[in-house]
Amino acid sequence: MSYNHITLVGKYDKMLKKDLKLTNNYLIKQLPKATAFINKKYEVIHASDQWINSFYFDNNDVFGKSIFTLFNENNKDWKIILKNCFIGQPSELFTTKIKDQNNNNQWFEWSNIPWYDDNENVIGAIIQAENITSRTIDELRLKKLETILQEKSEIAKIGTWGFDATTQKGNWCNITKEIHEVTDDIDLPLDTMINFYKDGFSRNRISMAIHNAMMKGVSWSEKLQITTANGATKWVVSTGKPIYKNDEFQGLLGTIHDIDNQVHSKIKTKENEHLLKTLIDNLPLNVYIKDTESRKILVNKAECEYMGVNSPDEILGKDDFDFFQKEVAQNFRREDIGVIKSLKPVLGKETISIKKDGSTTTFLTSKIPLTDNNGDAYGIVGISTDITHLKQKEEELRDLINVTSLQNKKLINFAHIVSHNLRSHTANFSMLLDFLVNEKEETEKESILNMLRNASDNLLDTLDNLNEVVAISSNTNLDKTPINLNGKVESVKQNLSAYIKKNNATLINEIPKNAEIKVIPAYVDSIFMNFITNSVKYKNPDKDPVIKISMSKKDNYSVVSITDNGLGIDLKKYGNKLFGMYKTFHKHKDSRGIGLYITKNQVEAMNGKITVSSKVNKGTTFNIYFNEED
Amino acid sequence: MKKINSICIIDDDPITVFGIQKMLGLVTDCKNINKFINGKDAIDGISSMLENNTPLPQVIFLDINMPIMDGWQFLEEFIKLPITETVRVNIVTSSIDELDRKNWELYKSQTHHLITFNNKPIKKEEMQRITKVA
Repeated sequence: MSYNHITLVGKYDKMLKKDLKLTNNYLIKQLPKATAFINKKYEVIHASDQWINSFYFDNNDVFGKSIFTLFNENNKDWKIILKNCFIGQPSELFTTKIKDQNNNNQWFEWSNIPWYDDNENVIGAIIQAENITSRTIDELRLKKLETILQEKSEIAKIGTWGFDATTQKGNWCNITKEIHEVTDDIDLPLDTMINFYKDGFSRNRISMAIHNAMMKGVSWSEKLQITTANGATKWVVSTGKPIYKNDEFQGLLGTIHDIDNQVHSKIKTKENEHLLKTLIDNLPLNVYIKDTESRKILVNKAECEYMGVNSPDEILGKDDFDFFQKEVAQNFRREDIGVIKSLKPVLGKETISIKKDGSTTTFLTSKIPLTDNNGDAYGIVGISTDITHLKQKEEELRDLINVTSLQNKKLINFAHIVSHNLRSHTANFSMLLDFLVNEKEETEKESILNMLRNASDNLLDTLDNLNEVVAISSNTNLDKTPINLNGKVESVKQNLSAYIKKNNATLINEIPKNAEIKVIPAYVDSIFMNFITNSVKYKNPDKDPVIKISMSKKDNYSVVSITDNGLGIDLKKYGNKLFGMYKTFHKHKDSRGIGLYITKNQVEAMNGKITVSSKVNKGTTFNIYFNEED
Repeated sequence: MKKINSICIIDDDPITVFGIQKMLGLVTDCKNINKFINGKDAIDGISSMLENNTPLPQVIFLDINMPIMDGWQFLEEFIKLPITETVRVNIVTSSIDELDRKNWELYKSQTHHLITFNNKPIKKEEMQRITKVA
């Protein structure tokens, strides 16, 4: 470029020689380039308008002035260059930066060449300046873009590659080489490039992609693995497209993106996710996350199982109203709102949840608010432990304690009965023996001996009774068998027929013919015997005894009622002692005070109970509750 | 020693009644001895004595465990009777139940009558001590 200028200047030079005086100034003045002629004293002899304007010089104040004065600087380098010109040596181009009127940088490229006269003597130097500011800025910008691109691809690890169909060779940019871990001077025929892809899936895939690109013009973008020159395996995204010119295949162009880290971190994230999911899913706890509208947005396996669904999808997005009874769901919702608003967790709260099908579960529930970066709750994590089992056990335990304490009471009561009865007999023995020892009279001795015999018989009776009670209380494992109750009453009636006839009694059996209950048959015999004989024993002296046996259902019990028209019992006075041992309430020679005590024990041994209602002189009704469940 | 005019035994056990009676023969010459086999009979008997102005028993031997109306129920009724004299009531029982002792304390504090608590069997010396007009 600058060479042309010099040539041009040379032509002007010749013209100048022809008609120096007239045209000299004028010709130079019109030169399109900023050009100045200086003598060996550095004084400007000629200058183009362009030159004067370029540097904003005053037209009248240029000629005869030293250029160093004009540019207001003493540039030693330039001086040397010019001195070289004066001895016939043209200089190389150099660039200077000059501030313009607006104080902006202007870039100029200078050429300095010797100025010869007609006799080829150097008489000075021709200086030409070209404003290259815009070019310089473009160059700078390009350089910057190149740097940015370089850095970008280095940072992003995206390299480019190409394949030239005519040379059958590929070319890789530095980044692509880096990705493949190869040295700069690698020869790249197509198969070499392909062979960098990992044997198997990746290589097959890239071969197909390249084939399709060449044959069908299809471009590709594939996530594949390469094996680098150092043997490392990397995940890359390889893209490529065919280039055509006039419908003729020219080659391939594409990028290669090292995504190994991303893939690995993705895999790591996936692994972490999997770990977390495995953990949550296999916890023996119901875990869920709800959004602020109490809709479930995450549930674990246990929660799915509890909800009775196969997949979380059947729960996600739904709220408690879809699964629980309205009242329960309302409670849960209130609780959720409380946690979300207060940001205070609910911990280990005993909750009863009832599903729509009515199934009830007791949970120990914790609800923890989930907060975002601003500290606002965007949902809650719920963790529930099913403690229904524990609750049941607790209840069973409580029942057991109740039963035990009841039995304990009974035992203490029994111990008292035993102690009292035995004591009263032994007291009698001791007393009578004392009398016998001191007695002189034979007839009196005989009478005391009789009494001792009686006392001994009584003691035996008492022991028999106590034995019977112990047998009932300890034989709680006797098996219950179903019996026909009507038939049972009939057979008892048969056994007592003589007794009933003698007392002119009537026994009405109102038990349904097909009524069956599960009982210990021997006890039922004894129970009916007892009540029937009691009713006869304590009959109203003015009436013939009428005993009615009927049956009804109440809750889980079959209730057998035995009603008589006898003396009745003043329940206010005796109610609490009615079933006590050795309690009798009527003056009757056969009263032993043991029957009802034993009856009660027998009924209780079958998990039943007895109630009584009575009116003095009207009659009594005993209701025996037979437990149908166990 | 003050002479006892009337004694009452309330017990459903004929052997005990026999024993008490026999021992009484050793410690007193009182021949007026009323016997009742339960509390109900006794309260009815004593009430009618009160009505008929016949002499009331000065010493009562009372069993606790009896049919129809037991010793405590008898006491409950007895202390309500309009008797100004102090009657000695000797409870005679084979019970060692703490509850019976507590009941005794309770009734003792509620009446002007003298109530004692005695365990069977009663020895002769004890009998002598408790067979006195209060």
